[in-house]
Amino acid sequence: MQLTSENIVTFLLSISLMLLSAKLIGELFNKIGQPAVVGEIIAGIILGPTVFGSLLPHTYNWLFPQNNGVKVALDGIVNLAVIMLLLVSGLEVDLSVVVKEGKTAFLTGVMGIIIPFALGFTAAYFFPHLLGIKDDNLKLAFALFIGIALSISALPVIVKTLMDLGIFKTEIGYIIVAAAMFNDIVGWLIFSIILSMIGANNGHTFNQTLILLIAFTLFVLLILRKIINKIIPWIQKNLNFPGGVLNFILILGFLSAAFTEYIGIHAIFGSFIMGIAIGDSVHIKERTKEIIQQFITNIFAPLFFVSIGLTVNFITNFNFLIVAVILIFAFFGKVIGCGIGARFAGLNKNDSLAVGFGMNSRGAMEIILGILAFQYGLIHANVFVALVIMALVTSVSSAPFMKYFLKVKENLLNILSPNLVLFTNFTDKNEVIKELVNQVSKNLKLNSDQIYREVIERENSIPTGIANYLAIPHARVDISRPAIAIAINKKGIDFEASDGTPSRIIFLLLTPKSKNELQLKLLVEIVNKFKDKQKVEQLLLSSNTTDFISMFKNS
Amino acid sequence: MHFPFKKLGLALTFSPTGFALLKETKRLKELFNSEIVLIHSGKKDDESEQKIGEMIDNSGLAKQSTEIIWVQGNPANEILKVTKSKNVDLLIAGALEKEPVLKYYLGSVARKIMREASSSVLIIESPSEAAAGFKKFCVSTDYSQDSESVIKLSYQFALMENAHEFIIVRDIYTPGLSSAAMESGSTSNAEEVISIFQKEEEEKLNMFVRELNLKGIPVIVKCLYGREGWAERDFVQNNNIDIFAVNGKTKKFYFFDRLFPNELEFSIKHLPSNLLILR
Repeated sequence: MQLTSENIVTFLLSISLMLLSAKLIGELFNKIGQPAVVGEIIAGIILGPTVFGSLLPHTYNWLFPQNNGVKVALDGIVNLAVIMLLLVSGLEVDLSVVVKEGKTAFLTGVMGIIIPFALGFTAAYFFPHLLGIKDDNLKLAFALFIGIALSISALPVIVKTLMDLGIFKTEIGYIIVAAAMFNDIVGWLIFSIILSMIGANNGHTFNQTLILLIAFTLFVLLILRKIINKIIPWIQKNLNFPGGVLNFILILGFLSAAFTEYIGIHAIFGSFIMGIAIGDSVHIKERTKEIIQQFITNIFAPLFFVSIGLTVNFITNFNFLIVAVILIFAFFGKVIGCGIGARFAGLNKNDSLAVGFGMNSRGAMEIILGILAFQYGLIHANVFVALVIMALVTSVSSAPFMKYFLKVKENLLNILSPNLVLFTNFTDKNEVIKELVNQVSKNLKLNSDQIYREVIERENSIPTGIANYLAIPHARVDISRPAIAIAINKKGIDFEASDGTPSRIIFLLLTPKSKNELQLKLLVEIVNKFKDKQKVEQLLLSSNTTDFISMFKNS
Repeated sequence: MHFPFKKLGLALTFSPTGFALLKETKRLKELFNSEIVLIHSGKKDDESEQKIGEMIDNSGLAKQSTEIIWVQGNPANEILKVTKSKNVDLLIAGALEKEPVLKYYLGSVARKIMREASSSVLIIESPSEAAAGFKKFCVSTDYSQDSESVIKLSYQFALMENAHEFIIVRDIYTPGLSSAAMESGSTSNAEEVISIFQKEEEEKLNMFVRELNLKGIPVIVKCLYGREGWAERDFVQNNNIDIFAVNGKTKKFYFFDRLFPNELEFSIKHLPSNLLILR
């Protein structure tokens, strides 16, 4: 089939319109703090049969024809987009992080698959019609699919949420990322097996396909990964940057996709696994990953997400019952599953729930999974619509829930307590430290003598005067949470500050013995607040606790 | 971790670098004023005994104060057993990476020692008969109490060596960063985020060093971005560091660590310089 000149015009117009609408609405969503992907899908819904197709059916059918060369060309682009999306998702999976986080990531990831999978599989197997099965002969595959659809996680949305909450580099952040990576690998592996159960196996039996799948995965992750790691430095040294390495990544991704498609597993699995093998290389620069991300996220991903809206009518295929069941199972399965896993691994209740809600984001991965199952005839359009809605709701709700459970964030402003801000008139540093220790000890019911000894011991080893009237006597002691007491002293006291200025604002900082990094973080936060001498001098003019705290917060 | 090391153990071989390694060990023995145990894996016969005797004499070590233990069987396992039973504080071994015939076998002995020894381990990459000492130290930190001890101990070592450079490095790595940066839209990018993270980390690292109160050799701090363990290994290799000290105490090595290397495993697999693993 050859594209006519008119076909080419229509094709170019349709992709321009798709990109334009995706960009406009995607940017709008970014502006209001939501993922661009949500806006892009909505752009598709507006452009598709749901809105545009209903209002102007003739123009819609001309722009997005259902059965000519334009349709084939658009499908080709969308297929390429999905393959590349999975390739970049694979690039971000880092197996060494999964291995490093060990038991916690493993338990969280495994439970985050088992519980939602069991819930989804049981419901779909015993009540297939309730969940809109399309073909009764595919009951097992359908049940497996619903199970896995509830188990998948979306790493990019999760990482973005962690970044927004400022917990990307914390222990919980690492656990969530590692568990999500583990979840992704297992999820896509199982999904590929399901597709090979129902799809065209290119002449291979199911067992043959399964053996080929496992052999291919092991080959790529254990052997090819090491070869790639040796080739990349050569490419970066001898070929143009970034052209050489980008080409190499795309060629490997496409070849791998072609291979898995040939053996009867979908092409996306090949590109995902190859992405992992390439991304594992210690030589891949962050800049390379970013360039690939940019060109896929700005061109191919919007085309794919808009095409979702073009595929089905979201109003006629909206089934409240299916949406409700899928949403409830998705939330319960993931939050409880990952929560239990994290709890088993030793996290406390709130942190475990935060991990559960963090892992609950399904994002783009769910939509890719859904559209493939829909194209393979495994699910009805109303299940697909429900999955898209579930993906959007879980992605948007993840951050607020995590924020709620992580409300006790250990940053400086949260630790400050108004009843531990004192206006004093001491002349000796030991006296002021003693008073601050007494106040904290009284407040937190601690042994003041012990704490005083530890603070003084630390003070004697290196004096804690900083500059700009600040001193921070501190120690790591037997407490579970950090504590701060502040003295605003009328006269300066010599804490041997680097600028020679006597200290007038004395922060006593006590942190748990086991949390070395927290002490450093809080010390840096305090020092940074005192960089501007003029502001500190204004702070010294405050005459009561409320004024001091409010000025300090704004400084 | 005891310092100075009271008892040194040397995995002594008849390889081409064996004698140079013995000279390096003798220098360290004198520096720390410690005892010395030579562990040789091989059959004890007249020829071998004579050979070791000559090596000791030529190195300048006193025979009567040098204990020699002969072991047979799996070299790595036997060396590890003696290290434990003799309460060795620092086990010294060669890397032998540059000896093609022996490379695989002996290289794997060194790696097993690095991973499993109960004592601290010093792997000397290219021992020299001149044994000039270590002048450029690099230590990695994760701010833990163990890594604090590693820095303090290495610093004392550096002072004894009259070292002229002492660098503390910290790796930071944020998996999934570029996709997260893209999720945020076009206003920020991964490199901006990395530079913010690096600045925050450098402030913490400077505070960390201030808290350690190290006096004598000026301390340089470096915050590196890259896969944990790899970025620092790369830095050490590219900056002609003489000795790289790491914390080996909290790390247990499992099969998967070797399959998908992380942290210390990168330096164990491909030595960036002489490596001091402190336990």
